[in-house]
Amino acid sequence: MREEVRKTLDIRGVACPMNYVKVLMALEDLKPGEWLEVTLDAGKALVDIPRSAKEDGHKVTKVTPADDGYRVTIEKGRHETGAQTPNRS
Amino acid sequence: MDTHELDLAALRSVGIIQQKQKGLLVMRLHAVGGDLKAEQLRTIADVALRYGKGEVHLSTRQGVEIHNVRYEDLQQAKHELASAGIQMGACGPRVRIVVACPGSATCRWGLIETKEIARDLDRNYFRQETPHKFKISVTGCPNNCAKATENDAGIMGGALPVWRGETCTQCDLCVHSCPTNAIVREGDSYSLERDACILCGICIALCPTSSWTAARRGYTLFIGGTMGKRPRLGTRLLDLIGNKEELYTLIARVIGYYREHGEARERFGHMIDRLGPDKVKKEILCA
Repeated sequence: MREEVRKTLDIRGVACPMNYVKVLMALEDLKPGEWLEVTLDAGKALVDIPRSAKEDGHKVTKVTPADDGYRVTIEKGRHETGAQTPNRS
Repeated sequence: MDTHELDLAALRSVGIIQQKQKGLLVMRLHAVGGDLKAEQLRTIADVALRYGKGEVHLSTRQGVEIHNVRYEDLQQAKHELASAGIQMGACGPRVRIVVACPGSATCRWGLIETKEIARDLDRNYFRQETPHKFKISVTGCPNNCAKATENDAGIMGGALPVWRGETCTQCDLCVHSCPTNAIVREGDSYSLERDACILCGICIALCPTSSWTAARRGYTLFIGGTMGKRPRLGTRLLDLIGNKEELYTLIARVIGYYREHGEARERFGHMIDRLGPDKVKKEILCA
């Protein structure tokens, strides 16, 4: 685990939009600038999760192929995401 | 009113179609891009209750149809619909109602405003005669939800990405999320294989540092798509058409070409295959 990664999350097999809700909940435990490492499915999740994260002010920092999917690190943005339910994804 | 008093061909041209049940008609309504006002839906419901069997059918092309209307009630039903601003649709060898996805007004992936284009095309071409039926669709991006490639003329939004390295953090999201593997990384730089790129704009939308941006945005025009008994996907006529005027000029040429060369009851795509796609493309583009 890289030093910046504070938390890991596996959302393989979790359907949209719950997969992104889990990402938001995990990000709640982080401070701005800290990284969450998410393992997700190839295909739609690899497009939808990074897009939703970007729209909510977070930043993908690395994407690497992993078993049955991808490992994506997301840096928590500066603004509060709160416990809000995403209005899209 | 007796069946013989009705000109069935004339009725078909405005989307009123005889059912297999003697004396009953389908009323196909005009709803561009599948859009109706909520109040119009109330009127449609009222008409369906009063003159149909209280049912409304949603067609595969975003159409709304009232079935089981009796001949003798047709004029009154039409009148009540017209009072709510609802016109009749089309059937037979002519330009049909234009379909459209919600486009960039609503959809996060939409690259173009689809509904405006659908309304413009409807205004210019709806019910105009062609050798066979002519269907037009406008879809916001290469997700192709409105099935542009299954229509005689299909308009699709597109964006050509370009990479600028200054801000890039080499996260590789673009490489892994590109649906056609058109992005290649070499060392710390990324490049686009233009022939593999489908102009979907996913790399532009996703890039966390906005290192991928749109060099150009525009319309892709597909021609000759059809389903039915002899399905054929549309032929790409041109990509990244830069503005609506150019797009509309090309569509006018496309329909003109079909009228000139299409045989009666011959779908546009089958005409293209008879004449040769390369020849047709060249003649339309170089007209």
